[in-house]
Amino acid sequence: METVISARSLSKAFRNGTIALSNLNLRIAKGQVYGLIGRNGAGKTTVLRILMGLLRPDHGQSYVLGFNLSEASRHQRQRVAYLSQSQQLPDWMTMNDLVRYLAYFYESWDSDLLVQMVHRWELSRVDSISKMSVGKQRLAAIALALATRPEVLLLDEPAAGLDPIARRELNQAIIDALLNGDGCTILLSTHFLGDLERLATHVGIMDHGRIIAEGAVDDWQRTMRKVQVVFTEDRPPNGFEIPGALRSQTFGPVVTALARITDDSQMIGIRSLVGARVNIFPLSLEEMFLSLTLDEVVFGSV
Amino acid sequence: MVKIDNAKLRNVTPKLHLQIDNRSGVPVYRQMMDQFKYYVAGGTLRPGDQIPSIRELAATLAVNPTTVVKAYTELEREGVIEKRHGKGAFIAQAATHLTKAEQEGALRRSAKQLAVEASQLHVPSPKVINVVREELNALDPERSTDGDPIMFTAVVGGNLN
Repeated sequence: METVISARSLSKAFRNGTIALSNLNLRIAKGQVYGLIGRNGAGKTTVLRILMGLLRPDHGQSYVLGFNLSEASRHQRQRVAYLSQSQQLPDWMTMNDLVRYLAYFYESWDSDLLVQMVHRWELSRVDSISKMSVGKQRLAAIALALATRPEVLLLDEPAAGLDPIARRELNQAIIDALLNGDGCTILLSTHFLGDLERLATHVGIMDHGRIIAEGAVDDWQRTMRKVQVVFTEDRPPNGFEIPGALRSQTFGPVVTALARITDDSQMIGIRSLVGARVNIFPLSLEEMFLSLTLDEVVFGSV
Repeated sequence: MVKIDNAKLRNVTPKLHLQIDNRSGVPVYRQMMDQFKYYVAGGTLRPGDQIPSIRELAATLAVNPTTVVKAYTELEREGVIEKRHGKGAFIAQAATHLTKAEQEGALRRSAKQLAVEASQLHVPSPKVINVVREELNALDPERSTDGDPIMFTAVVGGNLN
């Protein structure tokens, strides 16, 4: 598969000593939708900014469509759209002003697509951006980004500040971008893990400047399980471990684990244990994220 | 942008309404497959009925198109749907009897979950069976007990976002 986004051994420390990234590697193939998840401050925005060439890493290289974007030509950069978390459109301008400006610069500008989004999201074309609600401003920025018909789309928390209906519109716009023409490769950071279950093909969990876990969403959903073993004795036998456990904890006679079960036969051993009851449950992405990040098995959602 | 003709979608698949639960932990393509099978088992979808195109379904459900492709590929492999060149995908002739087995499987999965919960709450088995009987009666007081096939509607989750 053709690699569209790659980062090798990225490290970055800020002047105040904060380590934003530490030896981070990333590889995203054409057509994938990669969800970057992690707590605030985990380094998600730094990755996106380095990929866009807006921030120089201390070590390592990054490429988008084969180019280091900090050195790429305007034509090359135009194939990539980036929506930053704090993106402010010039708020004295109207949508009409912005469209005139962008349509002039972008060779791939799709005005039909823009008109459809403006209509669907009921965005005013004549009011200045400052008169729009925060949610509408965000949708306006997304509409403008998508109308450039990018081959690669980098979105930094696009759903932040959107109400549930607007978030649904955003998700549909992302799907439309995938269905359009030659499709699109997307890297997005988000805290809405439920949305990623529908949108993403891959997810990476970031923590303290590293990717601590990464995988294909359907593979995770097929293999990651919450396994709970309840013993009739006061406590589990010495040395007891749940096979495939990535995180595990024991409270009295109950052992709970986040386990990766690639093969059902892994569980035959513990199922045949005398005096133990074994329950296996599927896990949502949110439960996986919480368990892997917090170092304890978290069951249920926030 | 994909234009979705809702009227057309309704014509193709009357009453077809799929729901994706983001928090169930069940892969989205699996949830879609299960619901198609429920609809076939329940008679809502019949052999020969056309099902939505990949684009339509991806756009209406806001689901990654590769996920829809995966669901349809698996359904085809299992013989539930068939693709007709240039015409789209349809419920296969043999789907009905295939999904009868699936129907029992689905029921068994739900029953298993109920059994686990009952056991964790230390509810004795006769009580569990009574509760199930009461719930069945509440749904349909006229319900006969002479071994009619159980018809059930698919309520897979409910959290659309």
